Amino acid sequence: MRVRWNPIVKKDLQIAARSMRISWGLFAYEAVLTMTFLLALAVIQQQTGSFYSDGNVYHHLIYLFPVLAIAQVCIVTLIVPVITASSISGEKERQTFDIMLTTCMSPFSIVLGKVVSAVIHILFYVVGGLPIMALSFVVGGMEWSNLFYFILTIVLLSVFSGSIGIFCSSVCRKSISAVVLSYVFYFVIFVLTFIPAVIKGLFVNKGVGETMLLWLVNPIIFFEEFFMQIMSGESLFAGNFDKSEVGFLTYQLARGKTWMFVSGACILLLSVLFLLAAAWKVNPMHTSSARRPGKKK
Amino acid sequence: MLYINDLTKKYGAFTAVNHLSLHIPEGDLFGFVGPNGAGKTTTIRIVCGLLRASSGQVRIGGTSAPVGSREMKRMIGYVPDFFGVYDNLKVREYMDMYGSMYGMHSRDIAKLTDDLLELVNLSDKKEVYVDTLSRGMKQRLCVARALLHNPKLLILDEPSSGLDPRARVEMKELLMNLHAMGKTIVISSHILSELSEMCTSIGIMNSGQLITAGRIEDIMQQLSGGKRIHIRLVSGMETAVRILKEQVGTVVESVRENEMIITNQGTDEQISALIGCLIQNQVVLTGFYREEGSLESLFMQLTGGGGQ
Repeated sequence: MRVRWNPIVKKDLQIAARSMRISWGLFAYEAVLTMTFLLALAVIQQQTGSFYSDGNVYHHLIYLFPVLAIAQVCIVTLIVPVITASSISGEKERQTFDIMLTTCMSPFSIVLGKVVSAVIHILFYVVGGLPIMALSFVVGGMEWSNLFYFILTIVLLSVFSGSIGIFCSSVCRKSISAVVLSYVFYFVIFVLTFIPAVIKGLFVNKGVGETMLLWLVNPIIFFEEFFMQIMSGESLFAGNFDKSEVGFLTYQLARGKTWMFVSGACILLLSVLFLLAAAWKVNPMHTSSARRPGKKK
Repeated sequence: MLYINDLTKKYGAFTAVNHLSLHIPEGDLFGFVGPNGAGKTTTIRIVCGLLRASSGQVRIGGTSAPVGSREMKRMIGYVPDFFGVYDNLKVREYMDMYGSMYGMHSRDIAKLTDDLLELVNLSDKKEVYVDTLSRGMKQRLCVARALLHNPKLLILDEPSSGLDPRARVEMKELLMNLHAMGKTIVISSHILSELSEMCTSIGIMNSGQLITAGRIEDIMQQLSGGKRIHIRLVSGMETAVRILKEQVGTVVESVRENEMIITNQGTDEQISALIGCLIQNQVVLTGFYREEGSLESLFMQLTGGGGQ
């Protein structure tokens, strides 16, 4: 069977591969990871000599993995909107988007192609960072499967961030506005989802209850849970609250690995919704344009 | 080929296209003329599925597929007035990308790319980066791109804008070649002299409405109310005026020393007979010719002297 590439993925990768931006990006990514690795190593060495330490450096070296992984998560979270937010609006600015829309590609194929090329772009960086990640495996204590699961979560995060970026790109006419709007969405999803639980915890005084369900779409909680499961095999929520405090549903979700999988599914679902909304927005047949087509001379 | 029925596009209170109905037959080279803001680009964008109409229908080639559907898109090749290109993409890759977007097989794309680049005279630029091409070359490449999926209808929105005179001539020749090959072409343009040389029929729009459409000579004849004929003579002016005034459907517009201008609504044969009658009645002619109307004068007349 012959696999057909999405033409947009092929084009975007072709263009990216020929520009120096990807090389400089990769260099910066590796540099940040290396600095993080060296900094973490210095901190570990310092802590090993402290009064409270058992003096065994190997007990602490295992933490290199989550530190490097979290550094990568942060970098990916920050750069994906920059890559994707300019994808649709960039095509509009370049005046190539109209031609694209007159071809047989459906609007969903177009936005999907843009997200897939962003994910592949990110995978370049992640694969480029593997030798540094591998250093955290030197002392043992970690399974290689953890690295595989980590890459899967990075792909999930890239799809999620990319879909937000694409949606913002389809809404905004300028790339810079799309990037700013993407970070506004980030703020809402990453930060504001904590607000109901904080308000309930502080003022209602009956525990956070079902407001915790909002955290299912929050990648911070998802990654925290993921690293907890990898490092200790326990859930982030294990033993932190009782059934009466959080409600039946949250309590059931917080057992074992259920939260991690359900949260992953919710993040993926939200990504699909963003993609569908972006496809709807770029489809001229669905948009009741209030703006007259202007001549750009 | 293209049927537009009662098409209307409104932006709030502003009506960009107002109940436009038009039929362009297969094989026609149709020129869309009108001042800025007349609604030409809006109409073209609706036909290409880039804009939703407020009301009305558009059909191409007898199909009932809705505007913007895949079936409809396959039938249209669109060349916008302004378009960008990608950096770091070669001409061959550019064609390959758009061919893939139409679901074409890469082997077919490669073959058609060769043929089309030859047609638009860019064969030697196949491995050149698109962003290094001149504006005229990019425009011709865009035409080749629009022809890649062999559309029934080629739509060009002001293809000559921003081109130097040489590139304009090349573009005109290319379009005339395509027309000779049987393609149905719709062009919107501001360069009326160019349109009058190329087009078989035109549609004149103003303020969102189609004022008139049809073959250029038919429109000119309708508007001038007949054929203006200049007659030059050496002697027999009085006799000539008397004879011509007696003819039904002939109006003597002006009489000068050696020349008179008449308007005649008859056929070419009747005009020929009229000239013969003058000669038989001892009127000595040195020449006569029919006044050719220009698209510019027609355009100014129809749009009330406004526009460009």
